Order: sequence, then C-alpha cells, then structure tokens
Amino acid sequence: MLTTPLAMKKVSLYMVDADAQRAATVLAGMAAMHPIEAPEEDSELNEYPATSFYRVYHDLESRFNKIMGYHQEPLVPPVPSSEIVHLDQLQALDEGLKDLWIRVSDVEEQLRRQHESTGAIRQLSNSLRKFSSLDLDLGRLRRRGRFLRIFVGTVPSANYDQLKRALSLTSFIAKSFYTSEGLDHLVVFGASEEDEDVQDVLDSADFRGISVPDEFKGSPAQLQSDLDRQIGEADAVVAQLEQSVDAMLASERQTLQRAQELLYRARPYARLASVLRGRGGLVNLQGWVPARRVQQLREQLRQELRFPLHIEISDPEFDEFAEVPTLLPGSALLRPFQGLVKTFGLPGYREVDPTGAFALSYILMFGMMFGDIGHGAVIALAGLLLWKRYPAAAIIAMLAGLSSTVFGFIYGSLFGYEHVIEPLWMSPMEDPVLVLVLAVVWGAGFLLFANLLSIRNLLAQGQTEAALLGGRGLAGLLFYLAACYAAYQAFASGKVGWMESTLVALPFASIVALQWRHSSGPRFERIMVVFIEGLEHVISNVSGTLSFLRVAAFSLNHIALAAAVFAIAGMLDSVGHVLTVILGNIFIIVLEGAIVAIQCLRLEYYEGFSRFFTGKGRAFEPLELET
Amino acid sequence: MSRFSSHYLDTRLDIFAGRLIGYPRLVAFIEQPLERIMAELAGPRPGREAFDLSRAGRVEAQLMQHALEDIHILIRPFSGSERRFFFFAMRWFELANLKVLIRGKFSGAAREEIEQQLVDLGSFTDLPLTRLLETDDPFEMLRLLETTAYAGIVRQARRVYEEQGHDLFLLDATIDRVFFIDLTQRAQFLQSQDAEFVGRVMSEVLDRFNLLWLLRYRFAYGLSAAKSFYLLTATGRKLRSVELMRLARLETVEEVIASLPAPYRERLEGLQVIADMETVMEYHALTVASDMLQRKSNLLAGCFAYILLREAEVRFLQALIKGKLLDFDPALIRQAVGAGT
Repeated sequence: MLTTPLAMKKVSLYMVDADAQRAATVLAGMAAMHPIEAPEEDSELNEYPATSFYRVYHDLESRFNKIMGYHQEPLVPPVPSSEIVHLDQLQALDEGLKDLWIRVSDVEEQLRRQHESTGAIRQLSNSLRKFSSLDLDLGRLRRRGRFLRIFVGTVPSANYDQLKRALSLTSFIAKSFYTSEGLDHLVVFGASEEDEDVQDVLDSADFRGISVPDEFKGSPAQLQSDLDRQIGEADAVVAQLEQSVDAMLASERQTLQRAQELLYRARPYARLASVLRGRGGLVNLQGWVPARRVQQLREQLRQELRFPLHIEISDPEFDEFAEVPTLLPGSALLRPFQGLVKTFGLPGYREVDPTGAFALSYILMFGMMFGDIGHGAVIALAGLLLWKRYPAAAIIAMLAGLSSTVFGFIYGSLFGYEHVIEPLWMSPMEDPVLVLVLAVVWGAGFLLFANLLSIRNLLAQGQTEAALLGGRGLAGLLFYLAACYAAYQAFASGKVGWMESTLVALPFASIVALQWRHSSGPRFERIMVVFIEGLEHVISNVSGTLSFLRVAAFSLNHIALAAAVFAIAGMLDSVGHVLTVILGNIFIIVLEGAIVAIQCLRLEYYEGFSRFFTGKGRAFEPLELET
Repeated sequence: MSRFSSHYLDTRLDIFAGRLIGYPRLVAFIEQPLERIMAELAGPRPGREAFDLSRAGRVEAQLMQHALEDIHILIRPFSGSERRFFFFAMRWFELANLKVLIRGKFSGAAREEIEQQLVDLGSFTDLPLTRLLETDDPFEMLRLLETTAYAGIVRQARRVYEEQGHDLFLLDATIDRVFFIDLTQRAQFLQSQDAEFVGRVMSEVLDRFNLLWLLRYRFAYGLSAAKSFYLLTATGRKLRSVELMRLARLETVEEVIASLPAPYRERLEGLQVIADMETVMEYHALTVASDMLQRKSNLLAGCFAYILLREAEVRFLQALIKGKLLDFDPALIRQAVGAGT
C-alpha cells in the first residue's frame, strides 16, 4: 500500500566526442536517463561541445515549425535510426528551409497587404451603399480642379479629431458624414495649392481614399459596381497567393520530409547541449537512472558505441536527495490516483509515496459518505461508459461507485429507499450519534497514520531531532494519543486526572522546547512565536479531528436529501411521483456525488498530505525520442 | 482600496521614495570610482543579489530588475482601473524592448546582438521575445507583433515607417506617441481625484514629448506645420492643442521658444541644441514628479511619480556604469547622462 519512489543511481558517462550523439540516441531510445548538469567543481571539462549543433538544430526546428504551419498534408512519421546526424547536414538543410521560409514569408506579406487593401475597399463599398440613390458624377472627385481639391474616404475614428485640428493649419476642411465600425467617412476639401501637404497628413492619419478609375464617369451606383469588381479581383489575387504557397510547399515536400527525419534523429543530442560537457575530444554526461535499468543501459551503450566508454555509477549522496528525480512505481489501477496526488505535489525522492493509502482511504470515505447501492451502481456504470475516452476518471468513478454500493448494503439504502433491503449494519439515521463518534474515531486513526508517515519521512530526510521531538514527529504522535485518551476519560468519567494531564504535558513540552530552540530574535518575540505556534499545534489537531465529522454528516445528509425527494414525490400523482423520484435521484447523484468527491479530496489534502508530505519532488524526465 | 492597503502602500511608498538616490547625488557619482558607487548602490538590501561587475550588461539588467521588483511590490495592492492603469504604464519599459527588436531586425542585426540589448522584465513581460527573435525578416516580426497586445502601436509604426522613408527615429516617436495617447485614455478611467493628480505629473511628460518632437519635425525633418502637429501625442496642461498649433506655424526654433508659456520659456531660453532642451525638460518633469512624491497629496499619483523617478534613475545609472566600465572621461559621461546642461 505504501511505497517509495524508485531507487535511482547517478550515472556518469565518459566517452569520445564522436560517440556522444550515438549515446544520446541510445539513451533516448531507452528513455531511462534524466540528464543533469555536472557540478561546477568538475572544472576540467568546461566546454559545451554540443552548443553549435544545438544552435543550428534550433534554427532548423524553428523554421520547420513555421513552414509546417502552412503545410496542409501531414508528413510520413519518422522511424528510429541509429544513423548519426552531422552538423553540415543540418546546416545545409537549414539554408534550404531558410530560403523556402523567406519565399513563404514574402507571399504572406503580400497576402497581408492584399487583405488590408481589400478590407479598405470593402469599407468604402459599405459606406458608398448609403449614397447609391444619389445622382452625382463621382468622376469629378478624381479630377484635380484648378482651385479646389476634394478627398473622400475613411479614417479610424480615433484619428479624426487630431486630423481635423491639423488640417485647420491649412486651408482645408474635413467633415465627417458617416461613422461606423470605428471608422469615420469624411470629405476633405480645400485649395489645390496645398494638396500635397494635406495628402501627407492624410496618409499619416491612415486615410483611405475612394479610388475612382480614370475612365469612370458616373453615379454612386456605378461606382459601387466598380468597387464590387475590385473586391472580386482582390479576392482572386488572395486565392492565387494562397495557392502559390501550397504549390511552393508541395514542390518542397521531400525537403520537409528530410528535415523532419533529421530533426527527429538530431533532437536527443541537441537536447543534451546544456548538460554535455567536454574538452579535447572527451565528453561527460551525467544523469539519474532507475537502479533496475542501469545494467541494461550499460550493456546497450557498450553494444552501440564505437569507441571505449567509461561508466561511473554511484548511489545518491545525502545532500543530493533534493535533486534526485522522483519516479513513482504503481499499477495501472493506482495511476489515476497518482494524478490526484501530483495535483498536491510530487513526493521527494526519500519520501513515502502515499498513492496507495490515498486511493484506499479516498474510496472508503466516498463510500461512507455516499453509501447507496443504486447510486453507487450508476456511478460505476458511468465510469464504465467513460472508459475509452477518459480512462483515469473512469477507474476512479468505478472504484468510488463500487465502494458506494458496498456501503449501500451496509446501510441498507437503495436509490434513497431505506427499508427495501435489510442493512448489513444499520442505516446512519437510526443512531446518528454513533455515526458521528465513529467518524471522529476514523479521523483520529487517519491523523495518527499521517503522523507515523511524517516520522518516517523526517527520519529518511535525516531530520532525526524533528522526527523525535517535533510536533510532526514522535512527540506530536504521543501528544495526540494522550490528548485522545484524556478526551475519552473526560467524556467517560467527567474528569481529567493528573496522569492524563502529565501524559499530554510531557510531549507538548518537548514540542515547545524544540520550537524555542529553533526560534530567533529578541526574547519577547521568541516567547510570542513559541506561544502562537504551540497554540496553533493544539488547534490544528482539534480542528483536524473534528473535520472528519463531515464523513458522518454527509452520510446523514444523503438520507435527508432522499427523504426530501420522497416528500415532494409523495405530494404528486403517480406519473409526477415517478418523475420526481427519478429526477431527484439524478440530482443527488450529480450534485451530492460531486460535493462528496471534493470533500474527500479536501480531507486527504489538508488533513493528510499537509501533515507528512512536502510535495517538493522533481519529476523524472528522461531523454526520449519525440516526434 | 481598503484603509489597510492604503496605510501599507503609504508606508511602502515612503520607504521606496527614501531609497531614491536624487539628482545631486547621482551627478556626484560621476566623479567617484565605480567600486564606491556600487557599494553605495548595494546598501543594506537583504535578499538582493549582489551586483555583478564582470559584465556591463549584467549590472544594467540587475539595476532594471531591482527597479521592477520594487515597482511590482508597490503596485500589487491596487485593483480594478488603478491596477490596469499601472500595468499599462509599465508597458513603457517593454516598449524599449519593442524598439530594440524593430531597430535590430530592420538594421539586419544578429539575433545574439539584439538579445543582448533586451531587458528581462520578469512578470511584466508581454512580448513573445523568443518567437520574435526567431523571425527571419522584419516584416515577419511585424506580423507576429500584430498578434500581440501591441498590435495597434505596431500597425501605426509600420505605416509611418513605410511612408517616411524608413526612418527608425520616427518609428520610435510613433511608438511613444501611440503609447501616450493610450495611457492618457486609461488615466480617464481613474477616480476623478486620482485622475487630477496623475494628470499633473503626466502633463509635464506630455508637454516635453510634444514640444521636443514638434521642434524635430518642423526644423530637423522639415515637415509641414499640419503634419508636425498631427504627429504629436495627447496634450498636456501647459501646451494644449491651441498653443501647439500656434507653435507649429512658427518658422524658427527661437521663435518657438520665445512663444512658449513662462516656465518653459525661462528654462529653454538660450539653448540651441534639441538634445539639451530635452535634458532640461526632463529635469523639469522629474522635479514635478519629485514634488508630487514628497507632498503625498495622492497615493496613486505618488506611485506614478515614483515609477517615473525610478526609471530615470535606472537610465542614469546604466549610462554612468557603462561609461565607468569603459573607462570614459567624467566629462564625457557627464555629457552622456545630460548632467552638463
């Protein structure tokens, strides 16, 4: 039920530079090494020989990804190969892709401009529709008069006021006649002699003038049809440009396929660029490898590499524990629960992996709080239906549903009906006080177990003093046990004797003394800190224990909700009754089911994990082949 | 803002304001050896990484990083429109990166060269710097920028760049202009009292920008009065639209200076070079910001003033330290940081 992360070995590989890429490929194929940077004291190997390779790889990958954003047809997936990739191969391909990308980018820029001008024509066309009924000769707008110059077009509304003020410094006047979609449609007119200066200002204001063709002489309606023609032509240009990109990429498909293969093969070595150190043709790579795979790794490397290889294998040192990555064992059944544990944090290398205990207690508590044969069966069935799309959620739902069903038999509850089948024990409503007491006892057991795990983790991390004398250590455990005993005595006999008081006081004194030792600052500040921390320790134990009352509360709540549904159903006729019972049960399954699931998680995280689990582990991220 | 937050912020602002170096001390640094300057800058700041003098770029980045950390602490308690205003104002720092990227790409600089000039803005970073650096040509970068929060600024900058003979200096001015217009609009969403006090500080910055760019457009670039006026940003309180339009019509720098409102005219009289005028105007704007900070009339305006002062301090120190590391003569450094005007 309780395991620890897989044992790791530190593996240091010394090899010839020429073999480094081959070694990277082997390691990636095995997905067994989490590479790390060698410590600074290994200063003799102070060069990073894969840096230039990485740079070219990175440029190539970046260009490849950009181009693939335009490529419609998927490429054939690459196949693993032991053939190494040479820097000049990458460089040559990178040059090719750079050329290709510049051509694609150039078309993209043309497209952008085309879209911009098409957008402007569309806007003008829309505004012109407002005046299609007028009988005006718009050809006059194009002709430059001897004295008068007229501009008609649009500017972004944000620019209009400033433009109007700026034009007041000339002989021109701007008048907006229509506003829509953030644009002001305006007419600008004034003396011809200043029109170049004005055109300059209008350009800065993002003015888009109506372009009237030279041969054009006619009304707004005729101009409208010309604008429609321009839009049609612009759309055709856009389609042509898009086709040209497709054609360009289709003609380079082989280059892209080749780039994909080279990137796939070069990736493992490139990924090692920041950790692979070397000098004078010798390179060193260090990393963490699961102990059970070290032998296989050694053999595989010896078999694949062309030159001699020196391997150093060591156990993690005490001061390295924080750096060792965590790889959790675990069956397929527990994997979905690992996801929930990781949401809180990953166990450190020397910490207990709580997944098994978490899974068991979570499923048990769900059943206790939501015990119903029918509801449990529905949840399990829903899990079964989710199996293909969401396997992790499906496993949790099925186990929770089964637990709910089992507790349904214990409580004698079926779709909220409490007297249809005989309970194996009793319905919680029959003796709520007993159920509440049992919930507190369960909580106390839960907290004691968490405390034991905390002691184990502290000892594993070398914190012996805290493991024995601290609030999360043995003293904390004894304090809690003594407090539980004293509380029991108080309830049973109505008084707390000197023995109980002494049993509580002694471990508490140890906890306070340790806090005093580790506090710093002026005496008064230390007294305050220790007082508050001591008080917090007592309160957190009391509130933690009482927190488990919700286990009983929800089991009672489940019956109460069902009773409410039946009360409403009882007021209706037969069809209404059946419908209310069905809808009420769906409501209970969905709403109460979700609340209970969250409450169980809350108890696990805040009353369990926070007491023994730092969650500061680093995930094992092996070098692997990636497409 | 709650009363608690307001007291907290007041105290924080007091502490940060007390740590500002102040112009006279900054100028005095020019004559001091670098080690002494660094010792003074380090001061008693627990938890802060020591300055790394081994590389000039590193110290500059550290100065900026420390400033950003402090500003982040300062503006954290704000919420709603106040928070949005400050986060928008902080884009000023990122605009420096934007300009570096645009300049670098258009001048064909190598990726590493551009990367070295970029400032790490931590949580204030909005630009996808890595992807922008990986672009192969300036227009690809502009297209990518048009998908970011800076799309509006970039579109206008692109237009000016294409129309004005590919002048990068004008492109920078356009970026600043659009930023100030947007910032002024954001300030309007502040509560009226806050907007009034922030406006007092901002007004000086806007007047400085408008006056100096008006002079450049008219007399360095030879643009028409209308175009020069159009390219200005939102207006401040002393140089409103009417005054700027009047100034734009004038034919010489001397005429413009002679026609300025009293405080600006008195400060700029006799100056011939626009760069010197810029230094004087900036000093004036910072003096107003410093007064606002010391007077404690308004918390929000105080924080805004602090950001302006801190940014100017970092800029001064960066230039000073670079000069010292390159072993420049104090007179040259004095000129570079504008302390000789």
